[in-house]
Amino acid sequence: MSGHDVEAYRRGWRARLTYWGMLVPALVILFSSLYPFLQGILTSLTNRKLYLQTEDFIGLGNFETLIHTPLFWTALGNTLIYAVLVVVIQIPLGLGFALLLDVPSRVRSFFRTTVVLPLLVPPVVAGLMWKTMMQPQSGVLNWLLQAVGLPPFSWLTDPSTALISVVLIDAWVFTPFAVIIFMAGLQSVPPEIEEAGRVDGANAWQIFRLIRLPWLVPYIVLVALFRVADSLKQLEIIYATTRGGPLNATRTLHIMAYEEAYRWSNLGRAMAIVFVLWLICYLISGLLLALWQKQEKARYAV
Amino acid sequence: MQRKHSRHTGHLARSTRLVGFAAVAAVGLSVANAAYAEIDWMQQSGSKINLLLISHPFVDSLKPLLPEFTAKTGIEVTFEELAEQPGFEKLLADLSSGTGTYDAFMTSPLNNWQYATAGWLEALDGFIDNPALTDAEAYDIGDFAPGILASGRWTREPMKGIGEGSLWGLPINFETYQLAYRPSILKELGLEVPQTYADLLAMAPKLKAEGPNGAIYGIITRFDKYWDLPYLTFGTMLQSYGVEMVDEEGNLQICSPESIAATTDFVELIRTASPEGAGAFTWDQAMQGFASGQYIISLDEANLFAPVYEDPSQSAISDDVGYAPTPLGPDGKRSAGAWVWSMSMNSASKNKDAAWLFLEWLTSKETMIKTHLGGNMNPVRASAWANPDVAALVESWGEHPGQYREVAEEMAKVAGVNFPPHPELTRMLDRWAEAIQQSYFDNGNVEENLCAAQADVARMLGN
Repeated sequence: MSGHDVEAYRRGWRARLTYWGMLVPALVILFSSLYPFLQGILTSLTNRKLYLQTEDFIGLGNFETLIHTPLFWTALGNTLIYAVLVVVIQIPLGLGFALLLDVPSRVRSFFRTTVVLPLLVPPVVAGLMWKTMMQPQSGVLNWLLQAVGLPPFSWLTDPSTALISVVLIDAWVFTPFAVIIFMAGLQSVPPEIEEAGRVDGANAWQIFRLIRLPWLVPYIVLVALFRVADSLKQLEIIYATTRGGPLNATRTLHIMAYEEAYRWSNLGRAMAIVFVLWLICYLISGLLLALWQKQEKARYAV
Repeated sequence: MQRKHSRHTGHLARSTRLVGFAAVAAVGLSVANAAYAEIDWMQQSGSKINLLLISHPFVDSLKPLLPEFTAKTGIEVTFEELAEQPGFEKLLADLSSGTGTYDAFMTSPLNNWQYATAGWLEALDGFIDNPALTDAEAYDIGDFAPGILASGRWTREPMKGIGEGSLWGLPINFETYQLAYRPSILKELGLEVPQTYADLLAMAPKLKAEGPNGAIYGIITRFDKYWDLPYLTFGTMLQSYGVEMVDEEGNLQICSPESIAATTDFVELIRTASPEGAGAFTWDQAMQGFASGQYIISLDEANLFAPVYEDPSQSAISDDVGYAPTPLGPDGKRSAGAWVWSMSMNSASKNKDAAWLFLEWLTSKETMIKTHLGGNMNPVRASAWANPDVAALVESWGEHPGQYREVAEEMAKVAGVNFPPHPELTRMLDRWAEAIQQSYFDNGNVEENLCAAQADVARMLGN
């Protein structure tokens, strides 16, 4: 047996140990994260109701019922509109705040601390707080509107204004998240590039558009990824303010699934809705990740 | 399928009225307050029971009494208190997992129709009939208002058999519905308390005033998209228009001409006399709104809100509030919904005898009176109404002495659970409420909305 063979044997032995040592925990983790998921999918294929002892396999029956339920399409629309509005409002707003807080000033550190405060408020509490402020007769917001001579607004109490009102509360809570990420992004912009730009005569707008913004793209994609996934699953703010109403104006897929399960004990159908929600989350996140990878590749290719 | 299903129901199945309430109340304290001599209250000493309680003045009145129970029986009591929504969700999660975390819990007939179907409830008849556990004479089950007690009985057959079969829960209080009004403002406007819904509709445009804190609006009542709308508050108006969810032949009445008329009138009342945002009021907003003095009439709301209106620390109107029975329908009919808070026992409980001793003690004459004096309204036992201290408590409520009690007794005569028992009734009523809300928000006309809801409910019954 040559020294080379012993080495190979040892490597093989160690490799096998490492192989099993890594595989077993990985399988445990995989199983424990996949099991509830698979169980959920399995339940979505049954007519399981919490109060009945029996359940039957009904294949795609729950999904078929959903397709023929107008409320499902309303909820799907609300879910997507909510996510789009969240991104469209919170990214520019977050970027604006981050740029403001990037300007050197004496009050900067004070504002940097206060801007994150809403993030520390539990969404349910924020929802209840804003619900009081948005109350049409006694709320402070309408009082302010009237003080400056504007007509009162219906906020959460009218189907035509409820969704945007909830989105505004979401913006109050979660825009600071975008601000923090963008501030970190701005700090990572190499000063020499900006200086070089200035030497070449670029104005502030050109520096923003041609240097800072391209540098921030991965951060923007990151914020979009987190906010989209979060807002598709948003439950606390909506439940604390409108519980999906008035009528069905703020009934998202998550609210609908929650009510199917907890108000009506229909676990099978609730799981089917959750599965649809998961699929949407998965597809949109995948799309955003692909976008990120594509632009990362482009960046390092240069 | 649905037709066939519900035709069996017949009329005897559906309603349990609170009749005999006033009559029984008059009988008074005739039965001796004998101590519980017959049974050994210490027989379960050393055991522990855990309760799920839903936030309610009843719970506040119960907490200080729990040490008395432990002293009497040696049974240790722990409890969790949660708000209604999370409380019922937690209960559902626990009951469906069969762990028996809660030995006994607060519930209502509406919830019990699902729990009993699932087999999660322990029938209580066996405990009541067991002389080792229950002193029948002292407990005196005949002292409960018969209709309220009967709402806890059910044969577990969908759409029928309420008031028959096993007893699944014991009542601890009940609410029905009434008008509350501001005497000073009505007088100022030269208006009388409305006797009929037609009166109310006619005066609706005039119901407005200016108060110290801005506009005072005409009418407030809850209006969220949930089952309590057709089941309790607006349900009271519906039933006075002659609408019951299922008629004597077993046909759904959700889009009957009477139902369309009641809904049309209700929507007009709210549009005329309620402010913007009325389409989203929940019961607590309705209660606080009226207590804050911003409204002239609280329409068909819970009479249980009266303690809040009468309490100067919670209400701006404690010296300016009156009560009246709900208005009469077009044919002079008055009917009303009822909400009965009950206590039930978990069939998965491991301490059933101890849990029963607790329920027996809690719903006994003595303890019930103590809870009423601590704010738990309205009494479900005749002996409690006849108790001078309980009577004195409500005597001052209203525009003149005794007004609250007169109205409560008048309403109790016509109040009842006039719905077919079904494990998924809340889902059907939620759908019905959606149609009423659609009509308010101008989504299609009343008839289309109600008939679409009826078609959906028929489909749910067909499942």
